Amino acid sequence: MRSGPEALVGEAGTGLRDAGATIEVRGLSHEYPTALGPLPVLDEVDLSVPAGGRVSLTGRSGSGKSTLLTLLGGLRPVQRGTVEVDGVDVAGLDAEGLAAYRRRTVGFVFQHFGLLEALTAAENVELAGALSGTRPRQRKARAAELLEAVGLAERAGHRVHQLSGGERQRVGVARALFNRPRVLLADEPTGNLDGESSAAVLALLEGVSASDRLTVVLVTHDPAVAGRAPRRYHLDGGRARAIPIQ
Amino acid sequence: MTWRDALVLAGRSVRRRLGRSALTVAAVALAAALLTALLAIASTAQTRVLEQLSSGGPLSGISVTPAAGDAADLDEDTPDEGRLRPIDAADVERIEAIDGVEAVLVVQRAEAFVIRPERPRGGEPFVSGLVGVDLGRPSLLPVTVLEGRLPSSGGAPEVAVTEGWLERFDVDVADAATVLGTEAMWATGRLEDDGQEVRIRGRWVKATVVGVIAQDVGAGSMLTAREVVDDGRRWSASGVDGGRQMGVSPSTYAGLFVVADGVDQVGDVRAAITEVGFTTSAPENVLASVDRYLRVVEIILAAVGAIALAVAALGIANALLAAVRERRVEIGVLKAVGASDGDVRRVFLVEAAALGLLGGCAGATVGWGIARLVGEIVNRYLAGEGLATVTIDFPAAIMAGTVLGTTLLAVVAGTVPAARAARLPASDAMGGS
Repeated sequence: MRSGPEALVGEAGTGLRDAGATIEVRGLSHEYPTALGPLPVLDEVDLSVPAGGRVSLTGRSGSGKSTLLTLLGGLRPVQRGTVEVDGVDVAGLDAEGLAAYRRRTVGFVFQHFGLLEALTAAENVELAGALSGTRPRQRKARAAELLEAVGLAERAGHRVHQLSGGERQRVGVARALFNRPRVLLADEPTGNLDGESSAAVLALLEGVSASDRLTVVLVTHDPAVAGRAPRRYHLDGGRARAIPIQ
Repeated sequence: MTWRDALVLAGRSVRRRLGRSALTVAAVALAAALLTALLAIASTAQTRVLEQLSSGGPLSGISVTPAAGDAADLDEDTPDEGRLRPIDAADVERIEAIDGVEAVLVVQRAEAFVIRPERPRGGEPFVSGLVGVDLGRPSLLPVTVLEGRLPSSGGAPEVAVTEGWLERFDVDVADAATVLGTEAMWATGRLEDDGQEVRIRGRWVKATVVGVIAQDVGAGSMLTAREVVDDGRRWSASGVDGGRQMGVSPSTYAGLFVVADGVDQVGDVRAAITEVGFTTSAPENVLASVDRYLRVVEIILAAVGAIALAVAALGIANALLAAVRERRVEIGVLKAVGASDGDVRRVFLVEAAALGLLGGCAGATVGWGIARLVGEIVNRYLAGEGLATVTIDFPAAIMAGTVLGTTLLAVVAGTVPAARAARLPASDAMGGS
């Protein structure tokens, strides 16, 4: 069995279908209703990510990084502006369409790992397959393959509480990649990890991006992490500003 | 997500929150136990009361006496008997041909001089009726067995005795079992006249007592196979005066016991038998009244159980609502990974159904145990009073209905939490960040 990032996308990952998607964000605005009136978070944000590109989003707390990520991932309805992924406007999708989009096109990696405590590591990875209708046998094989690739084959049967932070995040990455997404959205993926674990997870994400031109958008407030991305955006005052690579 | 996957996920969630799940299941189980026990006891009580009213025979049983019938008396359960009208084999055939008649059991009777050769203490020989019936279909007989069993036909003569028989031989009803296996003897008499003197000659029969029955049957204190009684009757009838002075009735049969196809047929069959010319009696009116009363009791008991179930359902709804509140991030993650609203709804409905099913199974089992315990206590009382005991049959239909009901109720109770979970935004997945 292959291991390492190349194994994560599997055989189908070498084909065009599984190559990363382009992301075009135009005039994206978002505000939250509050008791004191609407609270604007994003204001006419424009952003482009080429297919297979790796982008980091930085900004101080409350700058709208996570909001932008949820809009890109179809977790939240678009209020104004457009979010096009490979030419498909996410804002035009209905509830079922959004669920299918989240299932097939994007993979999420959360700062808090987002693992279901009641399940084992393998079952958490398989969950993505259960939701996409993958047959149980194929599901198990794919989960085993992914856990092997992230170096957790020995931990497949362990429950979430038995895993370290770094291991949980690697399980989260494996789950995000289960359905061979075209866009990987990571929200502070190293925010809860120590230095060594952070490096391992970042290497994993970079490897995935490089091996199959998977489009990766990574939110972080850590300049060191952000600096590893070839393309960077900084959110401030509700607007996104591209930061030239030094 | 398939139902199977939803079941696995729901099962894991239940297991993870074991304490709360156990309490929720316990609430459902208590309600289900109450419902099962109440319905099982009510059902047994209904059967027992109706059996008592129908003397242990089928509820659709009709007694036919050798007396002329009057159509005006059909509204009464036990009308006054008219003038003597003998029943013979042709009458039996005519009654058997009536629509709605399932079976006709003939009853024969002979006067006998009864002794008890093994009598251990008091009691004197006496003259009493010996009743013979067709013992091939014991379930159709309107007889309640207190101890032992009914006699069998064929082989050595066997007899079941009544409480009256015990009383004559100074045996307490509570000690009825002591007469089982002992011998009873009787003689039917024939009046003979050789021209010089008139004398009575007896034909003796020795039989084993195999049972004690609750009622005096057909004005007799002993029940045995019809062939045995028929022999005795013929013996008496072969004497002077056709046996009239020895108590032989002009009617071949002392009565008939007619079983209708169903309780609702009893009225029509009684009318048809009256047209044939005989007086009939059946507890149909009192049965109907008691049945209605018992139905009301059953409904009230079911309502009590249903209220308990409704409270349990609220418990399920509350537990699931709490789970939805607790699992907002988890639900958001499910959606972020691709779960549709329907998938999320399914997981919570399956979880609710699982709680209801577990509670229902546990409750139905405990309820069955409670019903048996109550049955034991009631039986001790009945036995002490010398009455027939009750058997609490395995209430399969009630238990299945309870399990199904609790599961469905749990699903209904889970509808609101499931809908609420399904409506949660996928962006809640970021909640832990």
